[in-house]
Order: sequence, then structure tokens, then C-alpha cells
Amino acid sequence: MDQLLQHLLNGLLLGSTYSLLGIGLTLVFGLMNVVNFAHGEFYTLGAYGAFAALVAASLNFFLAIPVAILAGALIGAACERLLLRPLRAASIDTTMLVMIGLWITLQNAELLAWGGVAKSVPTPFPTEPVAWGPVSVSRLRIFVFVMSALLILGAHLVLTRTRLGRAMRATFQDRETAALMGVSIERIHTVTFALGAGLAAAAGALLGPVFLLYPSMGDLAAQKAFCVVILGGLGNFVGAAVGGLLLGIAEELGAGYVSSGYRDAVGFVIIVLMLLVRPSGLFARAERVG
Amino acid sequence: MRRAAIGLGVVVVMLLGAFAPAAWTQGDPIKIGVIQPLSGPVAASGNYVRMGAEIGRDWVNARGGVLGRQVQLLIEDNKSDPKEAATAAEKLIVRDKVPVIVGAWGSSMTLAAMPKLEEYGVPMIVETSSAATITKRGNPWIFRISPPSEMEAVGLEKYMKDLGIKQADFLAVNTDWGRGAASAFGDLLKRSGASVGAVEFMDQAATDMNAQITKVKAGGADTLFLTTSVEQITLVLKQAQEQRLSRKIITTGGSSSPSQLIKQAGPAAEGTMHILFFLPWFPEAMPDGKLAKAFVDEWAKRGHPFEGLTEGFRGHDGVITAVEGLKVAGKPDPKAVRDALWSVSVMGVNGPIKFEKDGPAGKESGQSKPSIFIVQIKDGKIALPAFAVKK
Amino acid sequence: MRARAATAVLLVVAASAPLWVWNPYHLHTLIMAGIFAVLALSLNLLLGYTGQLSLGHAAFFGIGAYASALLSVKLEWSPWLGMLAAVVLPGLAGWGIGRLALKLRGAYFVLLTISFAGVVSLVSVNWMDLTNGPLGIPGVPALAVALPGLPELSFRGKGAFYYLVLAAVIAAYVLCRRLVASRVGRALVALRENEALAESVGIDGTHYLVLAAMLSAMMAGAAGGLYAHYTRFVSPEVFLFTYTVTMVIMVVAGGKGTLAGPVLGAVLFTVLPEALRALASWQWQMLLYGVLLIAALFFMPRGIVPALAARFPRAPVSS
Repeated sequence: MDQLLQHLLNGLLLGSTYSLLGIGLTLVFGLMNVVNFAHGEFYTLGAYGAFAALVAASLNFFLAIPVAILAGALIGAACERLLLRPLRAASIDTTMLVMIGLWITLQNAELLAWGGVAKSVPTPFPTEPVAWGPVSVSRLRIFVFVMSALLILGAHLVLTRTRLGRAMRATFQDRETAALMGVSIERIHTVTFALGAGLAAAAGALLGPVFLLYPSMGDLAAQKAFCVVILGGLGNFVGAAVGGLLLGIAEELGAGYVSSGYRDAVGFVIIVLMLLVRPSGLFARAERVG
Repeated sequence: MRRAAIGLGVVVVMLLGAFAPAAWTQGDPIKIGVIQPLSGPVAASGNYVRMGAEIGRDWVNARGGVLGRQVQLLIEDNKSDPKEAATAAEKLIVRDKVPVIVGAWGSSMTLAAMPKLEEYGVPMIVETSSAATITKRGNPWIFRISPPSEMEAVGLEKYMKDLGIKQADFLAVNTDWGRGAASAFGDLLKRSGASVGAVEFMDQAATDMNAQITKVKAGGADTLFLTTSVEQITLVLKQAQEQRLSRKIITTGGSSSPSQLIKQAGPAAEGTMHILFFLPWFPEAMPDGKLAKAFVDEWAKRGHPFEGLTEGFRGHDGVITAVEGLKVAGKPDPKAVRDALWSVSVMGVNGPIKFEKDGPAGKESGQSKPSIFIVQIKDGKIALPAFAVKK
Repeated sequence: MRARAATAVLLVVAASAPLWVWNPYHLHTLIMAGIFAVLALSLNLLLGYTGQLSLGHAAFFGIGAYASALLSVKLEWSPWLGMLAAVVLPGLAGWGIGRLALKLRGAYFVLLTISFAGVVSLVSVNWMDLTNGPLGIPGVPALAVALPGLPELSFRGKGAFYYLVLAAVIAAYVLCRRLVASRVGRALVALRENEALAESVGIDGTHYLVLAAMLSAMMAGAAGGLYAHYTRFVSPEVFLFTYTVTMVIMVVAGGKGTLAGPVLGAVLFTVLPEALRALASWQWQMLLYGVLLIAALFFMPRGIVPALAARFPRAPVSS
């Protein structure tokens, strides 16, 4: 029983990291319809950004995180202006390929800049874990879990309750009408992408200290993010959150009770079953599936 | 339309570049090929080996080179992909005409390059790979200076009584290296009268091993054998501490870089033991103490991270073995070098390097018997475990 | 007629390559380009003609490679039977994917293919008894033709294998071309343009998607079989995501929905990394690759072949 409880706790924590990775991508992929293969790189930039702020600028840990988020958002905005705007008329596959090019370029630039040696981010939390009866967890992970939940909630509120959020949803549902209603389409595109990149950077800044920093850290993150986003329904924050938790718990239980080697396979099988049962994702609103 | 033409022009230039002859690299220096994973998940290790190789090259050149010529290293990235390792080998052999290669780090990469070695008849010094099959496949162009997992296990055998293991679990990276180690050390346990508990694996790129640790914790073993790269070891130790796993932890494979573990895992690394093939903290304890110390000093002088020494020496030893082979052969001819390697006896940072026959008769590969050590992290510092301190 | 002449010249150049490409390393590059050309053509069938993206195509490639390798090494079958299995088994998998997909389109279809590839990859690593796990399968025999009364013609050497690959590329190209021009091809394009409308005219979307997936998988499997008997070593790395990404780059940058596009893309993006290996030191190779890819798309957003076609217009061809 103790083992099961610990597994469930592990799964919840792991799942929350997947949810956090998904919310940035669901904006860019779900709303903007851009297959952002570079999502993992904004995650990595956020992690290295926080590291740089901590080590080079000796900033406080809790300040380094928003600095990293801002850096990620700004770089995201730049990428949107320089790469996506000129190709606005191009097909979704062309933009996908440009994102692939960006992914390759950014990752190799990081390798060149930081080297291949993994870096560890110092945190102000004590390493002694907290014990809750039969299970234990570290304070850092509790902090990350709480922050993830706040970020997901915050993003959801921005999208549904603010004018900016309304403008965003309007732009991606019907561009012409939104423009007629006075929305600056170009700006919304840039802001949305920047927001997505910023959320990815937030994930990196929060998860970097939990794991380690190395240039290819974004690859696995991006893979999980894509699964979570599609599973939860494109553009749906709550869906991404729930999808992430489900995936995390499934993987954890699969690794614990089926086989550690086939761990990811359990996740994939769950995904396939979900897709067969609900082809448009967990929280499908009446939206185009194809 | 003009844009398309420019684009096409760029493409044509690229094509010309690919097919340009390699004439411009011809000249005086003798070229030795080096194939390592310089990008991808194990980029750090590959780069450490490269740095060590460069030190070896510079020392050789400072002493006048070999056969009256300077040594040049042609370094290729195998991107942790066997297909790339094979392509890199082909390029080095065919285009650059190297008489000998050092590589390719991971066992799959080495295995993929081996058919090319046989096809063109060029020897390769294997500096890191640990899969037993590399020297048992009957490829007479392979000369390995790193220990296969079986040899590592034998190296630990003499300490089995002191370690007092009754039951051990295994957590290994899901590659030939990890699986080979789990199997070899599992056999060692059975030979010594202990039993094997859980055998768990983790994907090479995985960062969350909590599930495996929970499972291990639920069993009743007293020891955990851990085989993977230093990054994953760090994560496992931190997550094990988080779950309050308390048992003896022994890492195998020689890539654990305990100094880096102390820095990054901190108190989570306390008490852990590590099987290594180089002791940069006690270079005097190595078979050639002076050489080992000189290597450590040169490494520091170049500003390379101390943590990389436990792997960097492999590059050095690989290069000087290749150089010695060239010297004995008397000419930069691959077949002559291959034949010469059987008579090579040279002192590396790890210890004496001399090849013995391994594999099917008539097509043996060369396998050296490297020195194997075990250290422990005590009070945040590296020390020899009590039972390993000699006279 | 200009197109016919150009094609003839191209064929002559390609067929004579082993004679004037004296460096075996370059010939190796061309052989890999050929294998990728077959792969790119297979992906193009799905992406270019049905509009559905498969990000798990490396799985069909890998299944083909493993099928042929395992049968010829463990059961000691003739490598040609292995090649047959390399086509049939992925075909079954492709059929299965198509059937499983049912109403899944767009991103959901993509996720299905990713999941499938993920599972297959993990099986190849973990099912040691079947696939030898991470150690892979070394010693895959080379293809050879033994006709009674004649000496054995082995495809072990590069020159001979090059012709085999060239024949495969031509066969794949011709197959795609006939398919596209046929009723099936027209149905696929109709589905790509507007599935609802096509269905209203009686075209069964699922049926044609299954067909396209199956054919696409069979071609990818054939490429896998060729790969296995050329490199003679198969390991789980054939399922690496980078191979799928490379295929996508070749198809889209070459020009999806055209037939010359994927082939040109395959040649270019196989030669490009090798050219970079020669021109730049290892730290800069992939960085330059990424930059060049972005630049290429900026100049030619629809792909190289459509850009060229726009430059040299000829009679409109429906595609």
C-alpha cells in the first residue's frame, strides 16, 4: 500500500510537470496552429536563463524565475516577428519546417554556448525531504507543483477573462472579423507566441532545478508536451492540465507495476486508447477535428 | 524567382563542397581519426575523451611526433547515432586515409563502425565501449583498452567479502552498456553466494526515475548497483534521497565522475561507492604515478573541468596506443599498424597497455587488461573505502 | 519535350555514377540518399497527397529493417525473402494504423503515429529475445543473386548496391506516379482538399486513408530492408525521431505533393550534412544546417521543386 501511495504521489508530481510543459504549447499549437517544434528550446532557454541569472548575476532564486520567463517571452516575440510573420501566408507544413530549423539552430547554439556538461541549479530549499506518513517528497517539488498550478490557472484566466484573451481567441477563430472589430492581428500573433514561449521558459526555470540542465533537455519535454496538448484538446488549458496528470500517473504506475523499460509505452497505449474513445481529445469543445 | 535561383546556387555550392577532393589536408602530419559523441545526450563524455586525446597528441608532438612527423587528430562527431559512426569511419578511412582510428565511445556506435574497419582493413582502438561482443565477434581490426563489463565484475570480486552484499538490486540505463553490466555483475553476485533482487532500467534520456526507486525501495535488498552516465546518476541519487532510500549504492562503468556528483548531488552522494579506471585524486596510486600526475596537471592547466578526468584519460591512452602502433609499424599503413599493435607495450594513464587475444580463433581481436579501482564519497570527499586501502 | 530530355539526361547521369564517382565515401553518400529518396517518396504519399502527416514513419522503416535482418540472421532465410517481409510486415502495420485511425485526422492522426512509433521503438529496445535489444543485430548478410549456371552476383560492393538502390528509387517513383495519376490518386487529392465534400460525392475517406497508409508503409519498409542489407547492422537507433524529422524536411523542403520534390530533397539533405562535415568543424555543422534550412524555406516556402516549376512554367498539370 505504501508503495502504491508513493507511486501515486510520484505520478501526480510527474504529471504536473507534463501539464506545465503542455500549457505553453497548447497556445501556440492549439490557437495559432503552428507546429512548434522549437517549444522544447524555449523550455531549455528558460532553464539556462534562470541558471545564468542565479550564477552570473547572483540574483535571488525567486527573482531568477520571472527574469527567465521574461527572457523566454522576448526571444519568442523576436522569433515570431522575424520568422513567422513573413511566412504568414505559407502552409502549416512550411511553418512546421521553419520551427524544425529553429529547433536545430537553437539547440546547437546552446551546445556551443554552454558545452555538453550538465549543470545543476542551486536552490534555497533544504534537501531533506518532507515525510507524510509512508510517502516523502522534497520541498522543491512541492514549490514547483504549487507554482505550476498557479501558472495553469493564471493562463486559463488570462485567456478566458481578460480583453487580451478575448482578442486572442477572436483572432484565431476568425481573423477577418476580429480585424474588423479593431483587433491588431499582427500584435496578437506576436503576443500569443511570446506568451507560449514565456510559459515554456517558466517550465524550464521551475523544472531545471529539479532535474539538470543540458542542451538536449528540451527534446523529451517537447515530446511529452505534444502528447499532452493533443490529448487534452488543442487550445484547452484545463485539458492540457488534466491530460498531463493522467499521462504522468499512467507512466508512473506502468513503470512501477508493469515494467520500467516499457514505461513510456504504457503512456502511448493510454494515449491511443483515449484517441479511439474520444477522437477530439479529453475536453473537446465542438471544434474541427481535422 | 531570383530568390529561388539564389537558393539553388547555395545548394550547388554545398554539393561542390561535399565532393571537393581532400587534397588540401595532404601534407606532412600523420593523421589519426577520432570518433566520439560530441553532441546529443552523452556529449559531455565524448568531449572529455576528445580533450584527453588532444593532450596525448600535444605531448607526442612535443617529443618530436612519430616517424619524424607531427600527429594530427581528425575529430568526427558520431552524434550518438550508429549510422553516423559508420559514416564517420568511412569518411576518415576513405577520404582522409587515416591509418588508425580511436573510437567510438558507445558500444552500438563501435559495433556499427566495425564492418567498415573490416571492409577497408583499418584498425580501431576502442577506448570506452564495454559490450563483450565487440571483441568476441571475430573482427581482427579491433583493439580494446577499456574493460568489458565482465572484467569489471572480476575486478570487484576481491572485495565481495568486505562489501558483505546479501541481495542487490540493479538500476541501469537501457542500452547495451547498462544491460551488459547488470548481467555481468548479476553473475558475480551469484558466484559469491548473494542473490539478485529487482533489475530495473531507465531510458537514456529519462529524467524521472522515481517509479524505479519506489519499486527498489519496496524490495528488501541491501545494495543497489547503478550503471549510467553521471547526469542520470545525479538524478537517481537526488530522487533516492527524496524517497529516503537507504542502502549501499555502487556505480559501475567508470563514467560516474564522483567529483561532479559531489558538486551536483551534494549530500545525496554521501557514502556511495564508484568503480573507476582512473584516480585523479590520488594520481600517485596509479601504476605510473608521474604520468598520471602530469596528466592531471596538464588538464588543469588547460582549464578543463576536474570532473572530466575520470573519462578524459581514455582519449589520451587511446592516442598514445595508436602512436605506439605507428612507431612499431614503421610506416602509416593500416595493415602494418594492425600487426604492430600486437607487439605494442606502452604505459598509459590507466596503466600498462598490452593486447591479448580475445574471440574466435584465427580472427581474434585485441583486449588489454586495464587497472580497476573503487572509491567512496565520505564527508563530501573522495576516499578509498576502508577495505580497499592497501598495506 | 524539354522535360523528357531533362529526365533522360538525369537518368544517364545517375546510371553512370559509379563510373565517375571514384571516391567510395561519396558513393556511400549517394546510396544513403537513394534509400532516403524511397523513404521521402513514401512519406510524401501520405503528407503530400492525403494531407495527413505521419510523424512515426521511422517505425515502418525500422520494422522493415528488423524484419529482414531477423529473418536472414536468425532463421537464415534468403535475404530476398527478408526483403519481401520488409515490405509486407510494415504494410500490415500501415493497414492497422489506417484502420485504427478511423475518424482521426490532423493533429490526432499525428499523435497516433507518434504513439505507434514510440511503442515499436520501446519493443525493439526491451524485447531482448526477439530483437537483441540495444546491442542490435550485427552480421546481416548482403543481398546476392545466384542464377543457375552463372557466378553469384553479390550486392555487397558499393557499386553493385548503388544500382540496386537506383532501381528501387526508379521503381518507387514510377509507382507513385501511376498511383497519383490513377483514380486512387485523384480520390486522395479530393480528400486532401476537402474531405467533407469528397465524402458527399461518395469517396470513402477511411478506405483511401487506409490504402495510402498501407502503400506508404510498404515503401518505407522496402527502404528499411535495403538499409539493413547495406549497412549490415540494425539497432534500435533506426527508430530515432531524427530520422522522421529528416524525412519530413526532405519532403516539405523538396516540395510536398510533387514527385520530384522528395527525391531532390532526399539527395540534397543527405549530401548537405556530409558537405558540412567537410566544410565546418564539428561544433558548427548542425548549427549551419539549421540556419540553411530556415534560409531555404524563406527563399522557397513551397519547396524547391515548386519554386523551380514556377521559374520554368510549362503546361498546367493537375497535382
